[in-house]
Amino acid sequence: MDERPEERLVEEARRGGREAFAELVRRHERRVFGVALRMAGNRPDADDLAQEVFLTAWKAVGSFRGGSTFSTWLYRIAVNTSLTFLKRRGRERNRMPFDENLPVAGPGRGRPTGPEAASSLNELTARAGQAVAALPAHFRATFALVVDQGLSHAEAAGVLGCSENTVSWRMHKARKLLQARLKPFLEEVR
Amino acid sequence: MRCGAARRRLSDEIDGALRPGRKAGVEAHLRVCPACRAYRGELVRIQAAAALPAVPAPDEFWDSFEDLVSRKIAAGEAGRASVAVPFASRRRSAWAAAAAAVLAGVALGYVLLRPGPPATEAWVPYGDPLDGLIFAAEADPELAGRVEKEIRVSIDELLPAPEETEGAVVFAADPFFWEGLSEDELQAIVAALETESGHGGPQ
Repeated sequence: MDERPEERLVEEARRGGREAFAELVRRHERRVFGVALRMAGNRPDADDLAQEVFLTAWKAVGSFRGGSTFSTWLYRIAVNTSLTFLKRRGRERNRMPFDENLPVAGPGRGRPTGPEAASSLNELTARAGQAVAALPAHFRATFALVVDQGLSHAEAAGVLGCSENTVSWRMHKARKLLQARLKPFLEEVR
Repeated sequence: MRCGAARRRLSDEIDGALRPGRKAGVEAHLRVCPACRAYRGELVRIQAAAALPAVPAPDEFWDSFEDLVSRKIAAGEAGRASVAVPFASRRRSAWAAAAAAVLAGVALGYVLLRPGPPATEAWVPYGDPLDGLIFAAEADPELAGRVEKEIRVSIDELLPAPEETEGAVVFAADPFFWEGLSEDELQAIVAALETESGHGGPQ
């Protein structure tokens, strides 16, 4: 386990230290991969995306001046790279537009019990993942940072380059959309 | 507090971003509003259900991921170097060629423009085409006459028209005028000039 403080690793990486950068990759890969997975929606694309994030970071680390924490800087690259990635692949164009009134395949009638309840819970989980994936990209990025990564509104605002109020509003709006979309399943599992 | 405002703040409350001064108001609303309590419950459940599936856990995955990133970085660096080196090499060659050309130019300029040796050392008989003609003219009076005539014609062409100049200037401008005078004639002219200018002393 490398005990060197992150600042030192960053400084060494800035001077071209590949070994120091490899340690930074080890420390941040799971978080970056998490953002990539939420944004891309599938493992293979998330894998490519996370690699691209670190390659971009390696190319740009020389210009990192420490105005923010390294993780904030890396998250910013991850979000921006993800948004570019999605545009490039046309995922957002092909994505089914989010419509809270859109009829979704509803659960069967009656309150499930036992294995059926477990199945409903799994279905809710699957549907929730789909619903988050269908959120507009900026909402999804905010959701990924706040819910998945546990960033505060202030930290997420720093990553996204917006105000805390914007983060707060996006989270409120995203939750309302998800609640409307998933309401039939929520009632079923209750 | 209305339900709309309460729900707007519930999102902040779930994220731990609710300002302390607003917390009491939200809690008071929830106590009296079952719909907003239900709404909050749904949000919490959605958040739990939408939790990101655990990122790949096996160490092999991350070992492979780190290896792939390292190899891509190394490949990128190598690619950059392989692209940069030929250009750098070409640039170095160009600079070397330019430097060599400048040095050669300076050396050539020095050779060509440096002060030459005294004329006597460099004089070579018949080095000037006219030299041969003059030597031949010395041995051939007829040729000498023709050469002098040509020289005088050339000088006349260079001189201003007589009406535009004074006689003294014409004489002074004729290089052969003085050479054509004997020593006695020169002495007589010098004496006349001194008398004219008041420097001639007693008559």
